[in-house]
Amino acid sequence: MKALYYRLRYGRPIVLVSGLPRSGTSMLMQMLEKGGMPIVTDKIRTADEDNPKGYHEFERIKELDKTTDKSWLKNYRGQVIKTISFLLQDLPLDLNYQVIFMRRNIEEVLRSQNKMLERSGTAGTLVPDEKMRQNYEFHLKKVYYRLNHTPNFQVHYVDYPAVVADPLGEAKRINTFLGRKLNVEAMASAVEAGLYRNRQSSARHA
Amino acid sequence: MFEPKVKLDKALYEKIKMYASIAGYSSPAEFVHHALEKEIKQFEGADSEEEIRKKLKGLGYIS
Repeated sequence: MKALYYRLRYGRPIVLVSGLPRSGTSMLMQMLEKGGMPIVTDKIRTADEDNPKGYHEFERIKELDKTTDKSWLKNYRGQVIKTISFLLQDLPLDLNYQVIFMRRNIEEVLRSQNKMLERSGTAGTLVPDEKMRQNYEFHLKKVYYRLNHTPNFQVHYVDYPAVVADPLGEAKRINTFLGRKLNVEAMASAVEAGLYRNRQSSARHA
Repeated sequence: MFEPKVKLDKALYEKIKMYASIAGYSSPAEFVHHALEKEIKQFEGADSEEEIRKKLKGLGYIS
């Protein structure tokens, strides 16, 4: 009922793929793109060793915390934008959002992030992992609270290992959440178990 | 204008009243307001947010 009210008041939702960086958000973007969703990406950040299939990013969204004019977001109703969890707090609340939030074990996320930083030569400035783990845990608690208590957000949580284990099942659930008629088989084909790197033996999810 | 209210148990309220007076607050409400603001600042300002920001910037996920 509340969703319908917000839909009428703020229009068609923008679809956001969110999560901590390195939690599998790019994979989700690929799934949605293959399934037939319009993706918002400028392709400025190109594929590399860390993301062999590309980042699917939109540079403008990365400045969300520094700009006051966010009216441009309205132009992307009905489309998908990758928005890391840190920036969700900066979204304007005169819009409606469907959020697909990827959850992944924090140790795996940190390992993957650290590798990325090492490759870029900036690992020297790393905050110790234990401290970062605490930071992320607290950050995620705030994010979940905001997502669950702000009526502009409809949220669907996805666990990374579950997508790898059952891509078709997860694709169907995402399709149901979005209320679309996506090609779920094509979505599932975007998932490559071989890209599940930095795997933790006993996964604990964020 | 509607203002939210928070329930406190009586014993705690009596302590708040006493310490608000001793510390020179104009009312128990002012004391509670100040104490809560101080507590929330711990979570909001936090170094943790700055550390996350730096890391994400290093990774290229924010500008």
